[in-house]
Amino acid sequence: MPLPVLDVKNLVLWYRTRKGPVHAVDDISFALEAGQTIALVGESGSGKTSTANSILRLLPKNVLRYEGEVVFDGQDVMEFDNEEFRKVVRWRGISMVFQGAMNALNPTTRVGSQVAEPLIVHYDIDRREAADQAIEALGKVGLSGDIARRYPHELSGGMKQRVVIAMSLILKPKVVILDEPTSALDVMTQTNIINLLKDLKNTEHLSYIFITHDLGLASELADLVGIVYAGQLVEVGPAEGVFVRPKHPYTGKLLASVPRLRSEAAPDFIPGVPPDLTDPPPGCRFHLRCPVSFEKCGWSAPEFIEQVKLLQISEETKDKVPAIEAMKAKDTQTLLIKPVANGTIAEFAQRLTSFIAQDQETYRFLKSVESVQSKAKVVEVKLHEAMPPPLIGADWRASCWLLEAGGS
Amino acid sequence: MRTKSGIAAGAMLGFLILLAVFVPILAPYNVVQAWNDPGAWTNNPKLAAPEWSEIFSGKHLPRTILLASNGEPGGFDKVRISFNVSGQTYTIVVLRKSFSFQFDTFPSEIKLFMTAVFGNATGTQIRVFWDRPDGQEIHLFDGNPSVRAPYENTYSLTGPSFKDPSYAVYSSVRDWLIAKNVTNQTEWASLYPTSGGIYQNPPQTQTMLMGRLNRTILDPETAEVLKGNYSFRIEFSGFTPTDDANARAVVYGTVFGLAGTDYEGRDLLVALLWGAPVALAFGVAGALASVLIQTILGAISGWYGGFIDEFVQRTADFYLIIPTLPILILLGILYHLGILLILFVLVVFGVVGATTKVVRSIVLQVKEEQFIEAARSYGASRSRILFRYILPRVMPYTFALIALTVPAFIFLEASLSFLGLGDPSLPTWGHILGDAYTQGALFASRAYPTGLWWWVFFPAAGIIFTTVAFALLGYAFDKVLNPRLREQ
Repeated sequence: MPLPVLDVKNLVLWYRTRKGPVHAVDDISFALEAGQTIALVGESGSGKTSTANSILRLLPKNVLRYEGEVVFDGQDVMEFDNEEFRKVVRWRGISMVFQGAMNALNPTTRVGSQVAEPLIVHYDIDRREAADQAIEALGKVGLSGDIARRYPHELSGGMKQRVVIAMSLILKPKVVILDEPTSALDVMTQTNIINLLKDLKNTEHLSYIFITHDLGLASELADLVGIVYAGQLVEVGPAEGVFVRPKHPYTGKLLASVPRLRSEAAPDFIPGVPPDLTDPPPGCRFHLRCPVSFEKCGWSAPEFIEQVKLLQISEETKDKVPAIEAMKAKDTQTLLIKPVANGTIAEFAQRLTSFIAQDQETYRFLKSVESVQSKAKVVEVKLHEAMPPPLIGADWRASCWLLEAGGS
Repeated sequence: MRTKSGIAAGAMLGFLILLAVFVPILAPYNVVQAWNDPGAWTNNPKLAAPEWSEIFSGKHLPRTILLASNGEPGGFDKVRISFNVSGQTYTIVVLRKSFSFQFDTFPSEIKLFMTAVFGNATGTQIRVFWDRPDGQEIHLFDGNPSVRAPYENTYSLTGPSFKDPSYAVYSSVRDWLIAKNVTNQTEWASLYPTSGGIYQNPPQTQTMLMGRLNRTILDPETAEVLKGNYSFRIEFSGFTPTDDANARAVVYGTVFGLAGTDYEGRDLLVALLWGAPVALAFGVAGALASVLIQTILGAISGWYGGFIDEFVQRTADFYLIIPTLPILILLGILYHLGILLILFVLVVFGVVGATTKVVRSIVLQVKEEQFIEAARSYGASRSRILFRYILPRVMPYTFALIALTVPAFIFLEASLSFLGLGDPSLPTWGHILGDAYTQGALFASRAYPTGLWWWVFFPAAGIIFTTVAFALLGYAFDKVLNPRLREQ
């Protein structure tokens, strides 16, 4: 197995905010071999762009934690000081095509000098020679040299995107991070750009980190796919595998959400909203929205109380839930329930146990109950321990407790 | 720039710049240096309206007539004889000059300046005669020159001062009028009563010297101008062979030049013309310096953030509450600042301010844009990003602001000069307005029923013209920056 050109290990990037730390990138690892493309796919706000930024050390001021290993070309570049990092990694080793290329060009600079700018910044190079190289780079992305004298606002979206790609290639990097390179373009232009990227990959021997939420484009370009959810990689593996037989329930739901022309089935959706990254759920971060969650997935007492309250206020379900006066979390995995004064505590415990047994396939959080015990005035409900699932597998890994059991 | 305001601003500024270029040629700097030397302006009438203002009165108003010996135009004819009688040398100099007076009103003043060379003997004398077109000759006065050449003995033939020969002229005129039976002693005394030796209501001798010889001559309101050739005859007698005399006489008009004169007889056109380059240079230099410094500091503050940001912004807050004008007034009183020093102080008190804050807010916006992050990602240094990426984005706004700040500086300089705290050596527009104000230029008087309007009007018009030009330029820039304004 060849040495990976980029090996990201346990990358962590937390931001400090007034609400508390944001776990934007929380222990992400993947490896990329020369000439390979990994697509990082996920919902908005899942941490895809933060992952890219942390690889290029493009950090905002409010960084709280930034650690892990980024091994590029055999060196751990996280150890580099800023100047060394600038000289070795920035654009010379890893370059980036930014999200929304429309705005990635300086509106007051001509396209030619913009493309040549990294050259001028990195090498003490003659202005004319830089301009020649810029024209050459523009040629590689299929733009004629006279574009160099234009200003960005004179170009179309697709042309601007090509300019940005030309700029990312000017220092001949090994890895190019493509952060949603086609998101603001029409479908025809998207296809053109993707074809261009494919060609460049072969002619320039590039590796791509392709960040997108468009599964179609990802399948077009990617060798590997990494599914990002709530700051973590929940599944990473070969594209043909992940897209055909996803191992993680989230990947499955994501694929099911893509509308299909020839299928009768309506596109599926995932209930709920992505979790708040200032306070990510314990256990598997997807368990709150997961259709197949079970005992080990990591429900906590406050989440349990929240879910019970939801059942209480819903018109359909409020009659099923035993009458409760108050609920209180004792610790993360234990909660106390005080019934409405109507019969004994033991009777209430009985009602509760039967409700749990009856409805746990419908309301999967009920599966997390380990035991129900009657106390003097309250019922104590113990939940299963919350443990984040590890990435299971070798070349194709996914983090789901179901995989441990052997099923999928 | 093709907007109406842009074209207007261009035309107005073009005119001002042409003016600024040609003024030093038309009126060299030594004219300005002479501004504060009252002796340099004795040939000009005081408080004279612009010449063209006579079209409103419908009369041909008198211009100034300068008669001078020593080869100057309109020089006196001169005869000098020196002779010896029984050991005593006598030197007689006769100076004579006639001039034509064809105007509809009387001159404002008539003055005679004499330079004389004479020995120590007492009795050196000048006798001055006045010949009228109607053949009358008035012996104006006899006098003894008190200072020797090159200094001039000044004799006002019309002024009311008791100390100068007008007293003698007054008596001569009175005696002449009584001799011609135009008036008598009693009537004269009732017309011009005396009190303590000083005339309470002095006669305007020029109306009597140059009026038609009849009853109307007694009242300046009704006196008619006798047009024709008048002449001065001056007889000088001294007692050494080297004695000599020369004369200069000025018949002052009531109108002068294009812009009139002030209370010192200074040509206001000079001040008006010199005001343009001074105001332009002061306004543009001040606005450029302070706005550019504020822009750069604002950009640095917004871009680097942290302590620098805090420091610059708090300093700006502090500077914003400092009242610059009172401080300048204080400094002006204590140190009599020159114009360059005033500019320096203004720029020092304007290194941070409102522009710093506005530019910072623009930079905070620009710095979040993608191309800045892109520049960071390919390793452009912070200062390179500031100067190559951020400042070019802020500059268009800055240009508009410079144009709009120029008037503020012009006004400030004018305010200081108006208060008498500006550069005392330069006749700036504000300076002229200040003079006009202290001399009460806008109060109507019997002699000037409309006040000394030209003294106030031209410098004020200059200030307004320049500020409007720059304001229009600023609006034109503004329309370039905010295309939505173009629709309205």
